[in-house]
Amino acid sequence: MRIHTVLSVIAFGATALLSSARADEGSGIRFNLSGFANITAAKVLSGTDRTYMQWHCPCAIQNWEYVGVYEKSRGWQADQESLVGLQGMVQFGDQLSATAQVLSRPNNFDYRPTIDWAYISWAATDNWTLQLGRKRIPLYYYSDFLYIGTAYPWVRPAADVYGWPVYAYDGANAAYSGRWGSMTVDANVWAGGFDHHNAPYDTKIYYGAITNEKWESIFGGYITLTQGDWSTRLMLMRFKDTVWQSPAGAPETVFTPGYSTAIGGVSVNYDGNDWLLRTELNRFKQSVSKLQYDYYLVGLGYKWHGLTGIGTVSHYTTKDVGSGVEARQSYSLVLRYDLNRNWALKAQYDWSKDKTTAYTFFGDHKMLSFSAQTAF
Amino acid sequence: MNDAPSSIRRRLFCAVPLTALAALAQADGALAAVVAKESKAPAKLSAEELSAIFLGTAKSFPNGEKVIPVDQRAGTEPYSGFYRRVAGKTEAQMAAYWSRIIFTGKGQPPQEVGDGAAVKKLVAANPNMVGYIEVSLVDASVRVVAEVK
Repeated sequence: MRIHTVLSVIAFGATALLSSARADEGSGIRFNLSGFANITAAKVLSGTDRTYMQWHCPCAIQNWEYVGVYEKSRGWQADQESLVGLQGMVQFGDQLSATAQVLSRPNNFDYRPTIDWAYISWAATDNWTLQLGRKRIPLYYYSDFLYIGTAYPWVRPAADVYGWPVYAYDGANAAYSGRWGSMTVDANVWAGGFDHHNAPYDTKIYYGAITNEKWESIFGGYITLTQGDWSTRLMLMRFKDTVWQSPAGAPETVFTPGYSTAIGGVSVNYDGNDWLLRTELNRFKQSVSKLQYDYYLVGLGYKWHGLTGIGTVSHYTTKDVGSGVEARQSYSLVLRYDLNRNWALKAQYDWSKDKTTAYTFFGDHKMLSFSAQTAF
Repeated sequence: MNDAPSSIRRRLFCAVPLTALAALAQADGALAAVVAKESKAPAKLSAEELSAIFLGTAKSFPNGEKVIPVDQRAGTEPYSGFYRRVAGKTEAQMAAYWSRIIFTGKGQPPQEVGDGAAVKKLVAANPNMVGYIEVSLVDASVRVVAEVK
């Protein structure tokens, strides 16, 4: 019932916007409405028996941003990663546009729609575009379209790589798109910050009490070079990280008071007629705390008519500074079937080994996922 | 998603005289990339140039003139045939490519304007446009810049 209400609100709002924009078409204003949805059902088959935070394991954390967790004891679950998003864009002439993307997902305030994007865009030249507002941080290859399931082969990109408390920023960016000879170039530099109160990643996975995190003085950039079937992406971002708790009636506790942090990554991908290769190698490094994460994924796939199969290995580990590590090694086998141009059906089998030694984390798991994903 | 695989590109294209198109019209699904007769577009476009224009990575013809690509209706044989030959991608793969572009705020796909006749009519009246039509539809109102077979 609740999801229906939410969808109705989204649809009503979008329709109202669409109607008003259509009324102005004569004055050069154009409106585009697009959307996406993932309907994902998954079940943990086996794993480590233990209780971790609020979860009865065997369990699998498959989304770390808003915390989507599957528990074996709950059988098949479709309420952890299913989501729907709508994007409206109003174009004012050839150069200026305004875009907003609204997303409704289960563990993010119980399906309450939230704004992932909201920005104005000015196409300064054929190659340069300036944008101002809220966008997802384009950290890794799939970060800024993490929920557009039709754009990648998996049910979801490897959680060992795609899991951070802050995934958006409020600020400005300059995007370059063009060709250098026969090479396609896509680049972006961005600056801003984000204040995430009661960040689910911190609150639910690590602290067990309401915890806030803000990333300030974000400055980052990436460049993707594509030549034929190969593309290479380089990314570097710096920011100041603050994690704190403000319990009622108690003094504020600050865990990381603005520590300088850097994240860097390289991704090399191949997309041939038959074979595809996906690789990512990244590092997160923080001063003072000496916290360091290293993480990667490697996937090799094959396309055959409307079918794509891909096997992937992913891994992350913290640096051992004397008290052990948090680490995980995961594998997945995926079969994607393109039902038509708008729908992809996917099946994914995961097995993941918890290699954490610093504390008792959520353990191993094997799980099966099915997902119907669309973009329209 | 990447640009057209080089193996696919090599199978394409050359600009061909109008008179030579008659024989090609018999070829199964042969298409011609066309511009307006008075367009300032180059005499011919290479496979890479055509691919870049329709995938949105080139906003201008190689000579610097602004270019606006237009599509036939998605779901039709000309649409799927064009992208299969130009970009080496199925229709679903093209939809995946554009969904990534659209939802990261990097652009919009070419406007779909209908069938080959509709594309020809629109292109013929707009010097900055480029479209693709069935070879059998080519007439004096448009100029062929590449043949796609």
